[in-house]
Amino acid sequence: MGHAQRRLVSTAARLATSVHASNIKVFPPREALAGPSASSNTKTKTPSPTPSKPTFFSAETWAALQPPSTAALSTFIHRIGLATTVTSTDVIQQACTHPSYIPLFEHHNPKEPVPASNANLAALGNSLLGLFATEYVNATFPHLPTRVLKAAVSAYVGPTTCAHIATEMGAQPLLRWNRTPNTPTRPAVLHADAMASIPRALTAAVYQQHSLAAARKFVHRFFLSRDVDLRSMIKFRDPKLALRETVAKFGRERPVSRLLKETGRYSLTPVFVVGIYSGAEKLGEGFGSSLKMAEFRAAEDSLLRLYLTRQPPHLVQLPSSTFSSGVGDIFTAKGNAVGSYTPGTMADSEVLYGSSGKTGLRVPGARTRAVTEVEEGLEELQ
Amino acid sequence: MASATKAATRPLLRASLSSSPANGHVAFIPQVRKVVIEYCDSWASSANTRTFVHNHLENVARANPHVEFVVKQRTHKEPIARGFYLNNRDKVVPLHGFEVNGIANKIQLILDSSGAKIKPLKRRTVESTTESARGIWSGLHVDEPFKI
Repeated sequence: MGHAQRRLVSTAARLATSVHASNIKVFPPREALAGPSASSNTKTKTPSPTPSKPTFFSAETWAALQPPSTAALSTFIHRIGLATTVTSTDVIQQACTHPSYIPLFEHHNPKEPVPASNANLAALGNSLLGLFATEYVNATFPHLPTRVLKAAVSAYVGPTTCAHIATEMGAQPLLRWNRTPNTPTRPAVLHADAMASIPRALTAAVYQQHSLAAARKFVHRFFLSRDVDLRSMIKFRDPKLALRETVAKFGRERPVSRLLKETGRYSLTPVFVVGIYSGAEKLGEGFGSSLKMAEFRAAEDSLLRLYLTRQPPHLVQLPSSTFSSGVGDIFTAKGNAVGSYTPGTMADSEVLYGSSGKTGLRVPGARTRAVTEVEEGLEELQ
Repeated sequence: MASATKAATRPLLRASLSSSPANGHVAFIPQVRKVVIEYCDSWASSANTRTFVHNHLENVARANPHVEFVVKQRTHKEPIARGFYLNNRDKVVPLHGFEVNGIANKIQLILDSSGAKIKPLKRRTVESTTESARGIWSGLHVDEPFKI
C-alpha cells in the first residue's frame, strides 16, 4: 500500500467515529434531507416568506455529535484490563471527551445537559504520570544526568507517547473532540492533543476509582513497559574533557588512554582498539579507524557505562510504595504499604558543563571527600 | 574548531520524544475489536451459520468481552464473518461450506488474528529490537587475533 493510500485509511479511521447502527433510530437523518422544513437544528433561522437560505448538512459534524455506543465503551474497558477497576462506562465516556467538544455540543444541542469532559482528569493524570515515570527512571538509572532524566520522562509519558498509546488501545473511535484553530489566548487543538488526553484521564480515573497503587500498576503496565533508547539521548560535546572532569570529581586517578589492539595501520581500513584506564581499572573501550576516533569512542563508552548503570528490576524500590494499598485516595486509604523503600546513598552527581558561575567548587566533589575523610578517620583509629 | 554559535550536539525536542510499543511484554492488548457475522435468513448456505448464531455465539461473546459481536443481514448472499482490528484493517472470511464447528473455528481464527497482512515467514531472517545476547564477533577480541 502506498503512502497516499495509507494516509487515506488513517484519515478515514480518524473521521469515522463509532456511529453504531443500533444507536440510530432514523437513517439518513432528517437534517440531511433536502428542504428547509426537514431541518430541525439551529442551522436555519425562522422561516421567511422570501426564498429560504440553503441548508448545509455536514456529515462529519453529525457523526461527531452522535452518542457513543455502550458496547464500544464496554469492550474498550475489557481490552485494557480495567473491567474490575472501572465498572461504569460513564467514567470512560468522560475520559474520552476532550473539552474542545463541549462548545460544539452546546451549539447543536442547547437544551441537553452538557457532557462531562476530561480536562480535570487529564490534568490529574498528567501529574500522576510524571510522578510514576520520574521515580521509576530515577530508581532504575540512578546516575543518569538530570537533563537526560527529564528527556527520558518525556519519552515515557510525554504527549507523543500518550497519543500513540491511545491509538494502540483502540480509543480512536471513542474520542469526542473538535478541531480548534490557534487563538491568541489558547493554542490549537489537534488530533494528537485530543488523543493524548485519553491515557492521562484513564490514569486519573483508575486513581479515583481505586487507589494510587492501582494507578501505578496501570502506568507500569502500559507506559513504563515500552522501549526507550536512552543511549541516543546522552550526547557529548567533548567526551574526553567530560570524562577527565568526572573522574576528578569522583577522586580517582586521571584517565590514561592505551592502545590495546590495532590492525591495518597503513592500509585503507585500519582498526584501532583503545582502552581508557584510571590507574589499573579500565573505564571503557572504543574502536575506530583512527587513533583519535578510537579514543573518542573509548571516552564515550566510559561515560555511558557510568550514566547507564541500571538497577536490576527485582531490586528497584520506588518511593510511592510507602503509600497504602487500600482503596481510596492517598489521604483516606487504609492498609499496609505496598512495599518497603530505603533510599539509596547519595554520591557526587554529574559534572556540569560551563559551570563558571559556581564559585567555590572543589575537586574532588563534596560527598566523595566526606567518604574518604571517614575512611581516613577509621584508618587513624585503627 | 566549531563556531561558538553552532551547537556541537543536536538538541532533543522533548515534545517529540516517544517510546516504542511492546505489546505483550507486560500487558497484552487484544487486536480484534469487532466481529460482524452476516448471513441470509432464507438460503440454505447460511443454515449452519444460523445454527451457530442461535446456539454458540452468545458463549463465544461471553468468553471474549473485549470484542463487539454484531449480527447483520446479508440477504440472498453467502454468509461471511468480518473482523475489525485496531490497525484499521479488516479480515473477511466466507462461512459457506463449513459445519457448525468449522464456523466456530473460523470465528476463532478471526479472534486470534492481529489484523496484519499475512507475510511469508520462510525468507525472513531474525528481527529483534534488542541487540544480540552474545554480541557480534570481533577478530581483535579473541585469544588469537584473527588474520584474514
